[in-house]
Amino acid sequence: MFKQIGAVTMINLRSIPQRAGLSLATIISIALVTGVLLGFLAMSNGFRATLQGTGSDNVAVALRAGSQAELNSGLSSEDVRLIEEAPGVARDSEGRPLVSGELYVIVDGTKRASGTDANLPLRGVGPQALSLREGFEMVEGRMFEPGTNELVVGASVLREFSGFDLGETIRLGSNEWVVVGIFSTGGSVFESEIWADIAVIQNLYNRGTAVQSVRARLTSVEAIEDLRAWEEDEPRVNLDIESETDFFASQAGGTAVLIEFVGWPLAIIMAIGALAGAWNTMYSSVDTRMREIATLRAIGFSGFAAAVGTMVESLVLAALGGLVGALAIYLLFNGVSASTLGSGFTQVVFSFAVTGGSVIAGMVMAVVIGFFGGLVPAIRSAYVPLLTVHRSE
Amino acid sequence: MNDLTLIRKNLFRKKLRAILLTLSILIAFLIFGVLGAFYKVWNSGAELAADNRLVTVNRINFTVTMPYAYWGRIQAVEGVEAASFANWFGGYYQEPTRQVQTFAVDPESYLNVYPELVFEPEQRAAFIANRTCLAVGRDIADFYGWSLGDRIPLLSNIWQKSDGSSSWEFDICAVFDGREDYPANYAMFHYEYYNEDLAFNQDQIGWIVIQTQSADLNASVADAIDTMFANSPAETETATEAAFSEGFANQFGNIALILLFVVGSAFSTILIIVGFTMVTAINERTGEIAVMKTLGFPAPRIFRMVLSESVMLSLVGGLLGLGLAWGMVTLIAAAPGVSAFLPGLSMPQNVFIAGVGLAVLLGLLTGIIPAINAQRVKIVTALGKQ
Repeated sequence: MFKQIGAVTMINLRSIPQRAGLSLATIISIALVTGVLLGFLAMSNGFRATLQGTGSDNVAVALRAGSQAELNSGLSSEDVRLIEEAPGVARDSEGRPLVSGELYVIVDGTKRASGTDANLPLRGVGPQALSLREGFEMVEGRMFEPGTNELVVGASVLREFSGFDLGETIRLGSNEWVVVGIFSTGGSVFESEIWADIAVIQNLYNRGTAVQSVRARLTSVEAIEDLRAWEEDEPRVNLDIESETDFFASQAGGTAVLIEFVGWPLAIIMAIGALAGAWNTMYSSVDTRMREIATLRAIGFSGFAAAVGTMVESLVLAALGGLVGALAIYLLFNGVSASTLGSGFTQVVFSFAVTGGSVIAGMVMAVVIGFFGGLVPAIRSAYVPLLTVHRSE
Repeated sequence: MNDLTLIRKNLFRKKLRAILLTLSILIAFLIFGVLGAFYKVWNSGAELAADNRLVTVNRINFTVTMPYAYWGRIQAVEGVEAASFANWFGGYYQEPTRQVQTFAVDPESYLNVYPELVFEPEQRAAFIANRTCLAVGRDIADFYGWSLGDRIPLLSNIWQKSDGSSSWEFDICAVFDGREDYPANYAMFHYEYYNEDLAFNQDQIGWIVIQTQSADLNASVADAIDTMFANSPAETETATEAAFSEGFANQFGNIALILLFVVGSAFSTILIIVGFTMVTAINERTGEIAVMKTLGFPAPRIFRMVLSESVMLSLVGGLLGLGLAWGMVTLIAAAPGVSAFLPGLSMPQNVFIAGVGLAVLLGLLTGIIPAINAQRVKIVTALGKQ
């Protein structure tokens, strides 16, 4: 029995070159479908990975209640002072609270890819900002000097936007700035930002001593509950407090899900088209081998063996297509940098990420196409009438 | 029996094969049609823009405000027919997730520069006269079930009143529509009503909309405005409405390129499948074609017949696909709430026409090699084969 199946399958597979054209058509069409799916998934995974890789459980982000985003929020220096004294907030070795009040202004940057302007966050930070970002390092140049018109840009900004090279002078509105350093935070969202001294920005944008968000290092992950309880009871503040991890994870949702919501239906609809193509190929395959199959049946091979042979041929073609598609997408897109408008209303730079999970999803889809495409032809090949042997074509 | 009958019979001689090919062609055109319709909505900002309308924003970024006084100064610039302004309210209704696109405007001048907004005359007058009026786009009103006379609170995720609250009370006194495809998916209210209570950023506006006397003056007007505010604390950047919309759409990424990849993949797929199948199908018929030639069918006629066969196949699949796309888009557009987010979603005529053109092209491309093969069939060799 198994010998029969093996023999028929080998005959099928070895005869594929005789049907090179149609077989190739099946492989390419399934490769294209898998490619479209993996392209969208790589986009969504890359975007999600960037946002989920940002933030720490040990850091709390405080915004004005109801403001939803740093851009909309506004807090006074009094708010910052109160948070510095709040329970659950960690202090450095010299007893200073690890709290950073930050300002967030959107400025225009020119995208390298399109040459058009896009929103970039200009973040005003104080000396404590660095101690609240794990993995922060200067890749080139140095940190800005407080009180000057110097700024440092994230490595992702440099990659996607023109005019931010080290030493360049940038005009934002009527002010000129000098890029004195490039920083990295290990691929997180902060790398899509530009940083300058908070006091200078408060002054230039007439913000007085106001800030937009406050980041605080917590004494422990659980201490965020203490901070929240304090906020509830403290009538002088009205804040939304979230862990930084949650803050960025919630931002990942919308865009990443939207990309997947577009990608999956498209891929499934295209898969139906490819299925019709695979079916057509396998139908032709059975058609051209009618006499051959009938001969095999006549010399004692079972119909089941003939069916399995056809099915395996279909599955092999589909799996090949899936592999070609996955490999092509990996070579073309993996690691490619792109940027889109994130929920903070500024550009988030991310890299396409072809993940193992998405390759498996793509392969499963390819094999499913192969299975359903081969099903009816396989059944048909099981019922080839023996008399076909005598039919002369 | 004329040629057409013969072509039709040939096409459907293997019914299953014809159905499968039609299905795969149909799918490609379905994708083309649906994506075409969505892309039109995506691009509508630039397409619906009036060619003599300019937008002035703060040069730092359009989210940064500028002084209210700029409005008056811009009205005096030579070549400006009319100007109005708006500020982004960041509004939501009850829950932060139920966002309502809301602008603070100067009603009379705003309606002047946007003749696309259609108001009942008495509602237009009510909106201009009534300080607490909220004019609501039809799509929003339908979505939230609001009607004339309702008093509703809108919250802002940005602005605060001097008493610390973020809620403004409005009376709905006008529901407006958009002319043709123009979106009516936002709401607006009196700038004065909102500005007087603001806790911070008073007398600041978000953007200024300018109607020039003629589109030829666009460049000189834009230049005059930006020069006027150069070296001031709030420098400006003035662009045509189309350029501004396009710039904003571009912030999301190169959507057109992504769609091109998808549609390109879909069409490559059918080009390959149908192309190879047609070659195989005609090869199977070599003997028959030889017989036809023996009967006196001239080679060009056979060439035409094979080519017509593939064009017919791809037109059948293409038209079915475009028809299905049209049906799907119409269904999606009619679903509740969709018009608030995808205003003006419909099957664009030019997408349909382009689709039919593509179908003919696909038919010619997939048919040309089999047709040449068929034309070249030599009676002696073909009949000698058997």
